[in-house]
Amino acid sequence: MENRDAILTIPDENGSLPPKAPNLSIGQWFRKNLFSTWVNGILTVLGTAAALLMLRGVLNFVFSENRQWDAVRTNARALMTLTYPESQYVRVWVAFGSVVVLAGLSAGIWADWGRLPARRLAGWFMGAAGFLAVCILVREPSVLMDLEGKTIRLPDGSLVRESFASAMTDRANWWAVVALLLIVGGVIWRSDSDKKQLKITQVTYLGIGLGVLSLWVAPYGHYAFTDGTYIADPNSTVAFSTKMPWTVMWIMLAIGFFAGRWLRTSSYLVLAKAGSNLLWLISPVTLYFVILRDPALDYSHVFSTDLPMGLAFGILGACFLWFLTRSDIGEIGRILATAMLGIAIFNWVAAFFGWYPMLQKARISFLLLAVAALLAPNFVGEAAKRRQLLLGWLGTMALVHYLATMINTPSTVELQSTEFLGGLGLTLFVAVFVVLLSFPLGVLLALGRTSKFPIFRILSTSYIEVIRGVPLISVLIFFSVMVPLFLPDGMELAELGAVLTGYTLFSAAYLAENVRGGLQSVTKGQYEAADAIGLTSAQRTGFIVLPQALRVSIPQLVGQVIATFKETSLLAIIGLFDFLRVANSVIPAQSEFMGVKREGILLVAVIYFFFNFVISKYSQRLERRVGLGER
Amino acid sequence: MATNSPPSIDHSRPPLYRDVTVVKWVVQIAALALTLGALWFLADQAGDNLRASNVPTDYDFLSVNPGIDLSSGIDTDPDTGGRALWVGMVNTLRMAVAGIFVATILGVIVGLARLSNNWLLQKIGTVFVETLRNVPLLVQILFYGAVFASLDRVTKDVGPINGWLHLSNKGLSLPRVHIADGFYQWLIVMCIGIFIANEFRKRRIRQQDATGEESYPLLSAFAVLTFVAAVGWFIHPIFGFVGEIFGALSSFVSGIPQTVLQIAIGVLCVGSSALWIRSFLNSRRTPAGLARLTDDDYFRMIFAAVGGILGAIFFLILWPGLSSWMINSLSDLFNVLSNKFGDGRTGRPIDVDLPNIVQTGKFPNYGPSGLNFSIGFAAVFFGVVFYTAAFIAEIVRGGILAVPKGQSEAAAALGLKRATALRRVIIPQAARVMLPPLGNQYLNLTKNTSLAIAVGYSDIVQVGQTVYNQTGKTLPVVSIWMLFYLSCSLSISVIVNFFNVRMRIVER
Repeated sequence: MENRDAILTIPDENGSLPPKAPNLSIGQWFRKNLFSTWVNGILTVLGTAAALLMLRGVLNFVFSENRQWDAVRTNARALMTLTYPESQYVRVWVAFGSVVVLAGLSAGIWADWGRLPARRLAGWFMGAAGFLAVCILVREPSVLMDLEGKTIRLPDGSLVRESFASAMTDRANWWAVVALLLIVGGVIWRSDSDKKQLKITQVTYLGIGLGVLSLWVAPYGHYAFTDGTYIADPNSTVAFSTKMPWTVMWIMLAIGFFAGRWLRTSSYLVLAKAGSNLLWLISPVTLYFVILRDPALDYSHVFSTDLPMGLAFGILGACFLWFLTRSDIGEIGRILATAMLGIAIFNWVAAFFGWYPMLQKARISFLLLAVAALLAPNFVGEAAKRRQLLLGWLGTMALVHYLATMINTPSTVELQSTEFLGGLGLTLFVAVFVVLLSFPLGVLLALGRTSKFPIFRILSTSYIEVIRGVPLISVLIFFSVMVPLFLPDGMELAELGAVLTGYTLFSAAYLAENVRGGLQSVTKGQYEAADAIGLTSAQRTGFIVLPQALRVSIPQLVGQVIATFKETSLLAIIGLFDFLRVANSVIPAQSEFMGVKREGILLVAVIYFFFNFVISKYSQRLERRVGLGER
Repeated sequence: MATNSPPSIDHSRPPLYRDVTVVKWVVQIAALALTLGALWFLADQAGDNLRASNVPTDYDFLSVNPGIDLSSGIDTDPDTGGRALWVGMVNTLRMAVAGIFVATILGVIVGLARLSNNWLLQKIGTVFVETLRNVPLLVQILFYGAVFASLDRVTKDVGPINGWLHLSNKGLSLPRVHIADGFYQWLIVMCIGIFIANEFRKRRIRQQDATGEESYPLLSAFAVLTFVAAVGWFIHPIFGFVGEIFGALSSFVSGIPQTVLQIAIGVLCVGSSALWIRSFLNSRRTPAGLARLTDDDYFRMIFAAVGGILGAIFFLILWPGLSSWMINSLSDLFNVLSNKFGDGRTGRPIDVDLPNIVQTGKFPNYGPSGLNFSIGFAAVFFGVVFYTAAFIAEIVRGGILAVPKGQSEAAAALGLKRATALRRVIIPQAARVMLPPLGNQYLNLTKNTSLAIAVGYSDIVQVGQTVYNQTGKTLPVVSIWMLFYLSCSLSISVIVNFFNVRMRIVER
């Protein structure tokens, strides 16, 4: 970054630097940006009035006496995981903790967020203080309550409010916060005589740390809904079962981060990068296992079946592939590979008609072996290339068999509801799996749509256009109602599975369109160059076209991830208990909080906003880093 | 098989299983067969399962009384299932059209605000866009619904402007503008008026080009149209005779024998594939004669021929009901049209009804005469409008930023006023960039109206769900949904494409 700036500010031939933006005084700034013309002045006044009115409306809504924020505070756990049993709850924290450690580690290894001038930080503190002061001033004075906690009304039905002066004295503690922010900002500003630069990462960790530590001292109130008893204690600190895990999480985040920082300077950096990527890749399924499945594996089954099977596929498959990549193999290689594909497909057909039993793992492995065999001609020749294929095969087998073994254990978590997971956990689960599963499918569809083969093109185009022409809700309803009917006798799929299938198929069509945009931006010369050095079409697609196409479509792909995450809210309509459904129908049905809807929905909106905003900002950084639009 | 031939012989072609063309087409046909087979298998399975659970897949429910009440729409107590779905479709379209209209205006305003040189407006625009597009639409709709539901109850004078505008927890009630009995006759007058006005405009433009004086072509054409409309308001009954023409058409269509139409459809199938093959061969013809056809070309022609013949067989043998359905519905359509004309239709074409509040039972409620928007409508409407407006604002901003700065500088150098420069130089170029994504947003808005199901506004999805919950016929209802939305998507993309082609830069 610094180098580029240096290049950009090199004086031109006459030796003159480009003019710098003049430093405006406050009055000049106002005149230039707010009151440059008559129209602008009027717009500014109207805009200020509208903004203040909006702010007042929001504050009045949030701090209204009619709001029952207890409903959200008490049901915090329901919003996150619905009815996940208390006794097993440590599993959720373990899963969350591993994500946190991974996140810290990756941030330590990859992130370089630059530096922050101390003066700007001071400016933020003072700006926050100013905003808070405006909020305190514009919020309407509170409604007076009688002794029973009901609002007092005049005979004509209007509410009685306290006077402005008493409202300001009531908000004295808020004024104290304003003063504190001002003092902190002022101190930072004054002490910063040598224009210090703070590391943004360190400021962030410190900020999170202070927030977490305040859980132990600040009286946020203790609210809970355990075993049907309703606890509301507004004057104490939060429950121990909240502050303890969060503190541990923060410590783990910091440890992960510093480990990452250390790895960054050590000689293991390449290994650490690969390792963290691999961990991210296997984390969704592993965490699913940690949260929902039996952590004590059935080891007799593992040693008698799973391990031998994985080894057999790994070793025999490797021998097969080694044979297929001999330099004198000729036509026989292709025939054998096609035969293997036939066997693999036949296994699935037989499964549908129930001709002979076979573990699903074996069917998947056969299919993968067939694919590897079809790829084998690309690796014929010297030993190094053949070893590449073998290592890839062994790695794939290890990963697939590991994941399959993890998923394939019985669930030990017994839940009160029929849903095995709910709340934000379900939302994230669906979003992550839909994105992961729809990606390969979407790329395949995009390749099909841009293919030279007319039937592939027609099939993928009609699929994409039909799916894009109908709303997601109809697709989800179709799948949740119809999938049980499509399956032959004896096969079953949970509703979540059906919905995941439908959502994945839907998302893949949109993803395909984004990837297609990238594919079309790859110039013809790239294809011709690949052909000229004798690459096969699979190699051309995999090594030349797709990497460039995917890089170009990063912004659209991230947009698609955000859209997918937003649309997980539709699960609430078709009857799954995601956290929107908890806020919209579960909380309002509790006898303590009859019909209290708006608070929960507002919280859900804020959470969605937070995730989406962070992702979209991150994608903008990513765009700049890969140099889109520059190279 | 060619595999057995010894390698010493020099083949002019590679063996069959290595021949690129053959492998290509075998793989494709195999993929097609696999897809069709899988679809057939699933459909068969579903059919078996449905028969086993005694829920046959037919469309009988369209003509059976569903016994459901709808919360809003042109007919809140439909007497058949088909009518109920029709009401749902009208509600969806209503929402979509109103939403597109308002969202476009709001989006353009916010987009321009984000480009303004006023710092405050920029920030307000940014907050609007970032907040609304990062919160899921469904969450917004549910939130607006919950907020509206907490408004005051309906009373005799709920206000805010009694007799004109009522707002309560039952929704919004406004004066209703509706078409009255002379409307369709007036429409014919208007069509003639549009034709005259267009001719007038062209003449004025010619005049302006010839003399160089400003002749206000659009303005004067609009004046002519207004004049014709005003005259037509009173003289429209003279077009009552059009009804007889439609009546005659109706009886003519119903007189067409079924077999004639059926054969015509079959001939159309075969004929169109034959025509395609002919034009394909023509495109391969060079001045020196027919170019050498590749194997691919033969495959294409065989495909077209087989497709045409299969289509003809399908329509002639497998679906003979199509022709009678076409005859009946066309005849019905003309019949309905003929009833819209003549027969003492002499009143005003368009009428206005003021809202009222009636008390039939214990509680007062909005009467039927006003234009009543339920809470559900308001929630979905504000949801889709705000959500889409945030995206449209970004499109508008991007489109205007995409116009090179030199264009506005050149316009200023020519001495154009800022407004003229905007209207004649900037916006036409920005529109070219904006139109495709804008069309996409309109499409999204239409599809997003389906979320009405969450707040109980009777759009097609909500009505359809009620219908299949009662009759158990999910598959037919879902197929109707999909057809409806697909045709909406298709019509929007046709409209957008039309404008796209018109606005394209004319290249050599």
